Amino acid sequence: MKMAVFWGCRILTSQYAYEMSVRQVFPKLGVELVDLREATCCGGPVKSINAFAADYLAARALALANLTGLTDLLVPCNRCHFTISEAKHRMEINERLRLRIGELLKEDGLEYDPNINIWHVIDLLHDAVGLEKIKETVKKPFKGLELASHTGCQIIRYSDLGRVDDAENPRKLDELINVLGAETVDYSEKLDCCGAVLTYSHQDAALSLAGSKIKALQGLNVDALVVCCPACQMMFDSEQKDAETAVGAKLDLPVLYYTQLLGLALDIEAEKLGLHLNQSLVDKLLTKLPA
Amino acid sequence: MSLIDLMSMAKPEKESMRKVLAKLGRSEFIDCFQCLKCTSGCTALKLLELKPHEIMKLVRLGFVNELAASEIIWTCATCLKCVQRCPQKGSPYHVIMALRNLAVEREAKVPEAYLKAVSQILENGLSQTIQKITTRKMETFDRTSLKLPKISAPKESFQTVFLKALEEKQE
Repeated sequence: MKMAVFWGCRILTSQYAYEMSVRQVFPKLGVELVDLREATCCGGPVKSINAFAADYLAARALALANLTGLTDLLVPCNRCHFTISEAKHRMEINERLRLRIGELLKEDGLEYDPNINIWHVIDLLHDAVGLEKIKETVKKPFKGLELASHTGCQIIRYSDLGRVDDAENPRKLDELINVLGAETVDYSEKLDCCGAVLTYSHQDAALSLAGSKIKALQGLNVDALVVCCPACQMMFDSEQKDAETAVGAKLDLPVLYYTQLLGLALDIEAEKLGLHLNQSLVDKLLTKLPA
Repeated sequence: MSLIDLMSMAKPEKESMRKVLAKLGRSEFIDCFQCLKCTSGCTALKLLELKPHEIMKLVRLGFVNELAASEIIWTCATCLKCVQRCPQKGSPYHVIMALRNLAVEREAKVPEAYLKAVSQILENGLSQTIQKITTRKMETFDRTSLKLPKISAPKESFQTVFLKALEEKQE
């Protein structure tokens, strides 16, 4: 299986561990990734400023995928995945919008292709690669680990767009964790948002949201929180220290990407998965892994 | 001051309401019957007092100018629960985004980070600047030392076209 990959901004500019671990794990599962050339922002932050310009950027990502000659596009960031999926949907139902964006893309030497399939890490692994294949490929299954999953908001809502999992009861990330031999907990804060978008306007509130969720999870004594979005990882991992002040509690919960966790089970070195870049105390988790 | 206080001296105005409707391309918010499902599940309710059902009602009554000038529309966390859960297939999220776009057109106060993101995209295509990461062990890494491929910047024609898209009249 060969597909194009659109990283978005946050992964390329700061969340390097996601990029590293995605690049490591997929070839081991028979998925070859092809980078887009000259990729730009998906349009996510531009939605608030000008919806048309945001749709143009999203369509541009699909047009770049078209240039590769491939029909599948992996979008590992939840926000990019939503932005591109929504723009695609809007262009499907609004011919005038599609034609106008098509004209603009032409000026940039590009052509919009409505037939590109958009994938996220979660549905690509769960639905296309499949749990069986993952199970067969795992070299070092986990034992006795209890983990919490955070799928995030924008890859599960809103359902009209066709999302990667159920909007109110996402299970795929849990199943992907379970197949590696770890247990997962159900917790009442599971659907709570990480707050990343609020960093644009209300930093303190954003940190409070992230901090409250970590605090709740610490109360459940889980070994780590597993995420699949660079914005969620930024809030729960990179900003965890800052979130301490916002919620007035000591926070020391290991947080990592699912692709990092999967990589460990596939016996890939921690450093190759970017685990040295996580700001939370992932060492606590690493010492609990089988030798 | 609450949102409702802001409206006590205000006069509804249909023209601005029409503008928001045109931006939405979906007029379902007209059918809102104030069940409060959106507000009861709103991520920004507890900390920032965002009440999506109030916004729906106020737009419907024509208090669009007040909303477009209010900071409240910038408190949405984009969790999309309101879109998902509305029994009337309405969407406070989309109404809020339309109000934000209107605020930008009117040159109202917009959080700096959004404007910065746009100018950053114009500059090199990405909405964020490339960062060096300092690890838990105080070592510093960047894309090169992590052996990650170089980012290829878009051609100049991108800037011209993106500017055009930003100037496009939104109906």
